[in-house]
Amino acid sequence: MTFANLPAAGVLAGLAAIAALLFVLQRLRVRHARVTVPTTLFWRDAAREAPVRVLRERFRHWLAYLLILAICALLWIGFTAPEFEGGSGVRHHVLFLDGSAHNAGGDDFARAVAALEADLRTLPRSRREVIWGGAHNVTLLMAGEDRLLLAPRLAGLTPEASPTKLREQLRLASIPGAWPERVEFVVYGRAPITADALRKTRPGVRVSRGLEYAAPAANRGIVALGLADARSGSWDRVDALVRVGASDAALPTTGVREELFARLDDAPWATPPDEVDGGFVFRDLPAAGGLLTVALPPGDAIALDDAASVRLPRRAVLGVAAAPEVIGAVADAIAADPGLRLVAPAEAAVVVRLAGTEFGGALPALRFVPTDAQDAAFLITYPTTPEAGAGGAEKRLLNGLEALGLDQIDATGLATALGRPVGLAVAAGERPGVSVWGTLLDAGFNFTGERDFPLFLSRALRYLAGEQAWPRFLAAATPVQDGAAGWSSDTSPPALDAAGARFVPGQGSRLVREGDWAVALLNDAVTRRDRGAALGRFGGAADGMTATAVATWLALLVIALLALEWVLFRRGLMP
Amino acid sequence: MARAPTFNELFDPDFLAALQRFSLRARRVPRSGRSADQASRDRGAGLEFADFKSYVPGDDLRAIDWNIYRRLGRLFVRVFEERRDLPVYLLIDRSSSMFLETPPRIRAGLRVALGLAAVALADHDSVALFSFSDKLTADTRAAAGKAGLARLAERLAAQHEQGGSALAAAAREFGKRRLRAGLLVIVSDFFDPMGADAIADSLATSRHRLLLVQLAKAADADPTRIAALRGDVRLLDCETGEALDVNVTPAVLARYREAYEAFATRLTTLAAERGAGLLRVDVDADVLGQLAPLFAGGTLSV
Repeated sequence: MTFANLPAAGVLAGLAAIAALLFVLQRLRVRHARVTVPTTLFWRDAAREAPVRVLRERFRHWLAYLLILAICALLWIGFTAPEFEGGSGVRHHVLFLDGSAHNAGGDDFARAVAALEADLRTLPRSRREVIWGGAHNVTLLMAGEDRLLLAPRLAGLTPEASPTKLREQLRLASIPGAWPERVEFVVYGRAPITADALRKTRPGVRVSRGLEYAAPAANRGIVALGLADARSGSWDRVDALVRVGASDAALPTTGVREELFARLDDAPWATPPDEVDGGFVFRDLPAAGGLLTVALPPGDAIALDDAASVRLPRRAVLGVAAAPEVIGAVADAIAADPGLRLVAPAEAAVVVRLAGTEFGGALPALRFVPTDAQDAAFLITYPTTPEAGAGGAEKRLLNGLEALGLDQIDATGLATALGRPVGLAVAAGERPGVSVWGTLLDAGFNFTGERDFPLFLSRALRYLAGEQAWPRFLAAATPVQDGAAGWSSDTSPPALDAAGARFVPGQGSRLVREGDWAVALLNDAVTRRDRGAALGRFGGAADGMTATAVATWLALLVIALLALEWVLFRRGLMP
Repeated sequence: MARAPTFNELFDPDFLAALQRFSLRARRVPRSGRSADQASRDRGAGLEFADFKSYVPGDDLRAIDWNIYRRLGRLFVRVFEERRDLPVYLLIDRSSSMFLETPPRIRAGLRVALGLAAVALADHDSVALFSFSDKLTADTRAAAGKAGLARLAERLAAQHEQGGSALAAAAREFGKRRLRAGLLVIVSDFFDPMGADAIADSLATSRHRLLLVQLAKAADADPTRIAALRGDVRLLDCETGEALDVNVTPAVLARYREAYEAFATRLTTLAAERGAGLLRVDVDADVLGQLAPLFAGGTLSV
């Protein structure tokens, strides 16, 4: 037996206190009602027959004491809400209310809530809990809490534009010690679970579904939205790729270019997309930071995946001033990059110069330094920011290597030519900076003739100008191609891919950086309306007796005892 | 505490008119009373022939029966019965218990007393008023004549609550007054703390005929009619101030009923032993209707 309101020791202590209190009260003198009568002549003899109770009188009325003790004890036990368990095989019930987009179709969510509330009434409250499975899994009702608390907590909750976190919750349920040994995990909603995930649950965890569902209605939605450099070659334009998925073959996912609707900020984007390799590409969108929203016509089962948005990058031609000593080495590379343009120092955002010269003043500079001025061939200076923290240097080194395109350079060839190691170092500074051995500009090393030198120069200059990298392609559960630094997900913790290297946006997540966001996508599993592995139907709590049932029986028993007391009193058998 | 009825409340013409059909008859009243309508042991110049006696000088010559003289040659005179009055003594209980409840017992008690006085005065008997609480008080001297009824009503209306109920002592004190033997009407609830036996003992040697008027309420015999008498109560005696804590249970109630029944039986026995009348008046009911059975055939014989 368990008690919802108090531990067993507390219940026993309460019973003892009640018994003691009643015992004392039984011995105390009662407070008499005062009645004036014409004479006490006839009462004297009668009172002699039944002496009145006095303070600390002899304890005489055992029957009355036991009866009132039984009544009080039953009421006390009823207050403590006992629950009788059917044996050692009692299961803990985790009621998982699916608040994901899987459960957003039709009246699925309302049915799930109704079924959950019905089952909740039959389950002992000490052995059940309710979890909301939306974008995050949140406990709605803890074990032991009154079920009446659920309604206000459910108020306003609707399925979220998010794939299910059921798998994560099941993984948690399988952690030893997280829940009791035997757990009945009941899913109220259409959230799918794979057979593989079911196999991985620990023994003792049983997964079932709280209600039966018919086959889901057909659905179609946007499952991927990506950006890439414009095929036209225009630096300040990007292309956007859209992929459409469907749950039913009857709903076309290709050839729907006329149905796709795009809006850039508040204005419709009139140019229809090209259909490319099963996807649709909106061409030459201005890379001016606008919000691109792509939508399908509504009317299918789930509306949440009918639209997706992406914030376009903000790109402009970068003005570069080069000192006369180095302009010969970099002019060709700058001219080859449509995003760069050689300008006078007064118009430039960054400069290229030799170390020790004043060309460009205080502008961020790509400097070529004497070989003995720094140990590493490449030195990246980054501005000190609080978020960098201790131990961030290594990460910055890796990021810098990739961000500047140095991973593409033939470092071995350079090292052989120089006769010393070619290394990369990072250092903190007041502002961004890139320093390179000036020796590398010598014709004998052919660094400027390297295939990847323009990439290095372009990345280095943009790094110095403070341009943010942007993801070139985004899709749910697909690693970001590049430019992942600084991005995070606002709906799920940042995750790395299987190799632990690339940032993977969570399914249905929204990528955010510095208050801006890039893309919001649903899981294509939602769009396809995956049903997952078949689950058994939850059969209710077959074991034990709920607190409500116990309280009902206790109340009936108390009424019976009160009736008995009344009968005994009427018959003069009780004082 | 309630009050006694006022004169106007008490002196009810309809009530008094209804009593005119009743009369009071004594079997024989003692000598030396006033001339009235009751048979007496006095012999003299009455109208009712009683006996013959030998003539002695000084007897009224008009009373000589000459027919007997012709037959027997001796002189006999006819002796007639003198008609005297019956002294009626009203002994009213004015202890606190008579004024306690609603309606108070004194209200019915005074009405009964006034009714009996009216009947007695109509028969030319004399009526004297006494009252008692802790002690006996003579309120009026014996008076006769219908004109005295109003004065008597005034004295009755002036009765007020006065302490405890010492009926046995009052009866003993009344006996010591050596009043002319008559009818002693005791109007009381008979709740003497000394008990019914003490009352009986005090009346054992009384020379008077007795009429006991017991003023009762239904709750006297059945205290469950009083809603407050439930569970643990502290009973306060309105006369003695005595407090008695009682746990009112069915067993206690049964014992109470036994005690009250014994009390009522003792009063009945007392009346039977003394050849007295016992009238139990329910103070919550109409008095006139309860008086009527006392006058069987319109006459109360004492």
